[in-house]
Amino acid sequence: MSDEGPTQTLDRRKFLTVLGVTGGGAVALSGCSTSRVEKLVPYLVQSEDQVPGVPTWYASTCTECAGGCGVHVKTREGRAIKLEGNPEHPVNRGKLCSRGQASLQGLYNPGRIKSPMLRSGDGFTAISWDDAIARLATEVTKAAGRVGVLSGAGPGTFSDLLADWTAAAGGTVVRWEPIGHEPIRAASRAVFGIDEVPAHNFADARYIVSFGADFLDGWLSPMEDQRGFAASHGFDGDSARFVAFAPRRDLTGLNADEWHAVAPGSEALVALAMANVIGGSGAAGGSLAAYTPEAVAAQAGIPAASIERVARAFAAAQPSLAVAGGAGNQTRGAIELATAVHILNSVAGNIGRTVLFGSGPATGDGYEGLARLMGAMDANQLGLLLVHDANPVYALPKSAGFVERLAKVPFKVCTSLYLDETAAACDLLLPNHHALERWDDARPRPGVVGLMQPVMEPVFDTRNTGDVLLQAARRAGGAFARFTSPDYETHLRDAWRARATGDADTYWIEALARGGVYGGGQQEATAAPAGAPAAAPQAPAAPAPARPSAGSQPVTAALPAFDGDGEFVLAPYPHPFLHDGRGANRPWLLENPDPVTKLTWHSWVELSTATAKRLDIRRGEIVRLISPHGELEAPAFPYPGLHDDVIAAPLGFGHTEFGQFAKDRGTNPLDLVGPPGNATFIPYVSTRVRLEKTGRYKELATTEGNPRQLGRGIAEAMPLDAARRGLTVRQAYIEAGHGKHEINTELEVEAIEGWRQETIEARKLGNYATEHPAWGMAIDLSRCTGCSACVTACYAENNIPTVGEDDVIRGREMTWIRIERYWEDPPPAAHGAPAAGGDAHAVEGVTHGHPEARFIPMLCQHCENAPCEPVCPVYAAYHTPDGLNGQVYNRCVGTRYCGNNCPYKVRYFNWYKYNERAWPEPLHLQLNPDVTVRGRGVMEKCTFCVQRIRGAQHQARLENRPLRDGEFTTACAQACPSDAIVFGDMRDPNSRVAQIRSNPRGYHVLEDTNVRPAITYLAKVLHPAEA
Amino acid sequence: MTRRLALFVGGAALAGIAGVMAFGAPTRAQQAGPAVADSIASTYLAASDTADLLGPRQPIFFRHDLHAGQFKMQCQYCHYSVNVSPEPGIPSVETCMGCHAVVAGSDSGGRAEIRKLRTAWSEKQPIEWVRVHFLPRHVHFPHQVHVAAMGPNACATCHGDVSRMPQVFKVNNVNNMGWCISCHVERQVTRDCTACHY
Repeated sequence: MSDEGPTQTLDRRKFLTVLGVTGGGAVALSGCSTSRVEKLVPYLVQSEDQVPGVPTWYASTCTECAGGCGVHVKTREGRAIKLEGNPEHPVNRGKLCSRGQASLQGLYNPGRIKSPMLRSGDGFTAISWDDAIARLATEVTKAAGRVGVLSGAGPGTFSDLLADWTAAAGGTVVRWEPIGHEPIRAASRAVFGIDEVPAHNFADARYIVSFGADFLDGWLSPMEDQRGFAASHGFDGDSARFVAFAPRRDLTGLNADEWHAVAPGSEALVALAMANVIGGSGAAGGSLAAYTPEAVAAQAGIPAASIERVARAFAAAQPSLAVAGGAGNQTRGAIELATAVHILNSVAGNIGRTVLFGSGPATGDGYEGLARLMGAMDANQLGLLLVHDANPVYALPKSAGFVERLAKVPFKVCTSLYLDETAAACDLLLPNHHALERWDDARPRPGVVGLMQPVMEPVFDTRNTGDVLLQAARRAGGAFARFTSPDYETHLRDAWRARATGDADTYWIEALARGGVYGGGQQEATAAPAGAPAAAPQAPAAPAPARPSAGSQPVTAALPAFDGDGEFVLAPYPHPFLHDGRGANRPWLLENPDPVTKLTWHSWVELSTATAKRLDIRRGEIVRLISPHGELEAPAFPYPGLHDDVIAAPLGFGHTEFGQFAKDRGTNPLDLVGPPGNATFIPYVSTRVRLEKTGRYKELATTEGNPRQLGRGIAEAMPLDAARRGLTVRQAYIEAGHGKHEINTELEVEAIEGWRQETIEARKLGNYATEHPAWGMAIDLSRCTGCSACVTACYAENNIPTVGEDDVIRGREMTWIRIERYWEDPPPAAHGAPAAGGDAHAVEGVTHGHPEARFIPMLCQHCENAPCEPVCPVYAAYHTPDGLNGQVYNRCVGTRYCGNNCPYKVRYFNWYKYNERAWPEPLHLQLNPDVTVRGRGVMEKCTFCVQRIRGAQHQARLENRPLRDGEFTTACAQACPSDAIVFGDMRDPNSRVAQIRSNPRGYHVLEDTNVRPAITYLAKVLHPAEA
Repeated sequence: MTRRLALFVGGAALAGIAGVMAFGAPTRAQQAGPAVADSIASTYLAASDTADLLGPRQPIFFRHDLHAGQFKMQCQYCHYSVNVSPEPGIPSVETCMGCHAVVAGSDSGGRAEIRKLRTAWSEKQPIEWVRVHFLPRHVHFPHQVHVAAMGPNACATCHGDVSRMPQVFKVNNVNNMGWCISCHVERQVTRDCTACHY
């Protein structure tokens, strides 16, 4: 399918033309519209499971992180066009994060290696697969006994094969994931004697404390953790309190009800002090005695009373949950922190209830393993290095010296899909198939085995590394003679056959249809669907964890050391979308704004607003950070959620290779980080930096408008107590002594009502008098975490172009749904600080206290009295009988009156031919053929996924039945990992959306404009300042 | 155009000869006889004559008038997905070969065309039909719903009586929204813009 590329200019029709082809070249001649010659190119042989125009779905497994979520792949005419969660899968239950969805842009990435390549001089030349495999076989034989393999692949049949193959070659495999959670595992070993990272049951926790664990930014198992958090923290009669202790407020921290900006590295002390308060100083062998709240408070820089209060509430809530340490908090004391948190959980009785051993995520050999491998490289002990699914050249700090050691290996082989930094330094490139193109499986944790199957023909001349290993083994012979499978698919099937219970064929086919095998037992306890009645937590099946008690080993923790003598501690943290950098070649992930800073496409450094004011550094001013190990320049972003002594910077930018989107984009803070030394993990937060001003500025590519609500009542909230009593938002306001917005005068109300009646009458013209559904949506802000999975889903479903950095700066992003993040000052009483005034440094308007962050998904509200409709001179914007605010592209002449008249700013104008530049080949193969690709000069906006509505209506018509509630939903609602978005027919009183709309917390944004939106928001619920 | 045409005719002639040699004799007996008498006037049109017919010239002179008219094959036999999908489905070469592996044609013109089909099959080249009916790219026309709503005559409503067309041509100006709307008004069904435009 890869060789047809007739579409110079891309449009839906040509896309469809190309779609009809199986092998040969399609011809789509251009011409003017009346004499256009188009070809209909049928299949040579009709595939049995493909019907043109009807999607075919395949079950597969996501490989973007170690979480191992199940996915359903939507294919049309033999091409994958969308990924959605597999509702059956115990990890993600039908949900999928931005990174998982953007896997498609990895599949169709223009930066993929298109065929095997061999180094020649500074570059590479394409070679045939036969030559490539022959070369691999020769080199492996030559280097027998001196073969090293570095693999990022999680456990599964492939990893087993790779281990066997490497053993035959006389080497060992090191399985390494850059952010591998080694400290948690080490702490489990030390405290419980279990060599494992536990799973966490957020759903049952009634009080959650995080010590820098970024579980909403992609920590251990992002989808599972987020589902659980939404279930416990989202308001449904009650809401679990969430307290964060961390120097930086990441997306997880912004969802906290209480944030304490502790000094970097002091989290472990706070955890031990809490354990001391709960368990008394006798706990943990009496070793906690030194960690009194008073002693710790001074080092952490927070009040002792707060530690004590949180500790008591934590112990009182049953069960509670404390979680430790993400990469952005990984100091040299990370193991002590994880140990302290294990002890805290143990003292509070959470082990086996919310902290579950025996079902935790699979982990690799950690940095320890990689360090061993690097030692061998350094000692010239390796003749050949094979790097699979890892990019250590980028993901390790430069100071770790991987590049120098790599140069010592005579022959380097890389199976990366993309020409990343590591591939560029290798000699032989054997590009693997993408996960959607190959047979494979994954065992992300005990009891869950996910299957992958090829859902389409490979885009390029790549080959499954499993096949490459088997073919090379056949050629090499000798020790490799035991690999007898003709190909990897057979090998995989045989492995599954051996595991089958009952008939092997049935077992295989059922597993294929369901996307894997999800065994019962322990993991089911953690996998209860969000919102389901909480099952009684089961005791861990495998080794019963001992509670640390008197006699267990003593605990110590101290403030960790930092390299250098700079004024600030540098805290590099994983970008929520780019993670360790592997997402940086995907335009969706670059354009989707970071939920915290709302910045896109480029890197930045964050410093606290107080620091910015002290140093007179403004937003966008380019600053230079200098550490003993390197320096970088990046624009400054004063951020109110940061400890004053910390400078934070996202990982993921600053690639020197990795395709056109990632290369030379921004800077990489790892350049400043010191070597891990003897550490068994990478201490990301271990370096002090100096800051210099450059006097230069960069305009930030931000999608943020005004960061304050200015009393407009956009993202509303109400106190927990009021929510418990069932008050409405308005009642809660009145009770708190506030009025809410201005009330329209009688005359205005009358005029508005009259206008509404007119529009309703107008709709009865023609056949519109009959009953139609009224499509509507409800969004629960107490569940929304701001993760932005809905945004990526919308990009994927609706062919939304990414516009690039320059056009984002000009405010021309096309995101039909966006997550707005507003700062709210805490009430003055809570922090004793005055309200913010007009302050040049107060970029976020907050220079004191800790502002509350409110997230709100903003999309077309499909207003009943839509202001955009009457101003359209050509009736392109109009109201449909089923309550949609329609936008007819072919009618639109681009006056932009509608956009100007929209109070929500949710209409987006195509200033350029984004359709010709947003999807360089072969990215365009992802486009959804059911949605028109818009051209220049057209206004566009959220359609409530009208193509899905019409599709479902057509199907219902064929089956001669009414539409059923929940049989389809919009792309955003489908993706939402927190289940915050619900879509349906408001006119059906039994529909879920109708029921949620009657919730007392419901309100409409900008209600006083009387536009009568079809979207009801449920107000966020605010926990009291202290509890 | 002249050059293209000449090549086309030449190619057809060569293929025709080959067809006679390879398959002509046995199948002539099957196809000759009364069936020919039923057919409409254009039955014996050879490929080289199609320039006089309405509609674009196709790479193979496929006779809807024979298949749908004379042999009374259902439209859905070849346009297999029209009942279930927005797209009607263009038959795969394999579908054609299902019959034409044995049916070689009854006259030299027909045999020449079938020979082209067999060549495409053996060389594994799909046939690039020239599209006759196409809607602008911002219109979504779900075939399956229209077939369900209008029953057996659904196809002819827009496409005309294809069973009488040796070469398919556009009878109705389906590109014009007026064509759609007039029918929707007449049948009292939706005229909402987003029924088709999205």
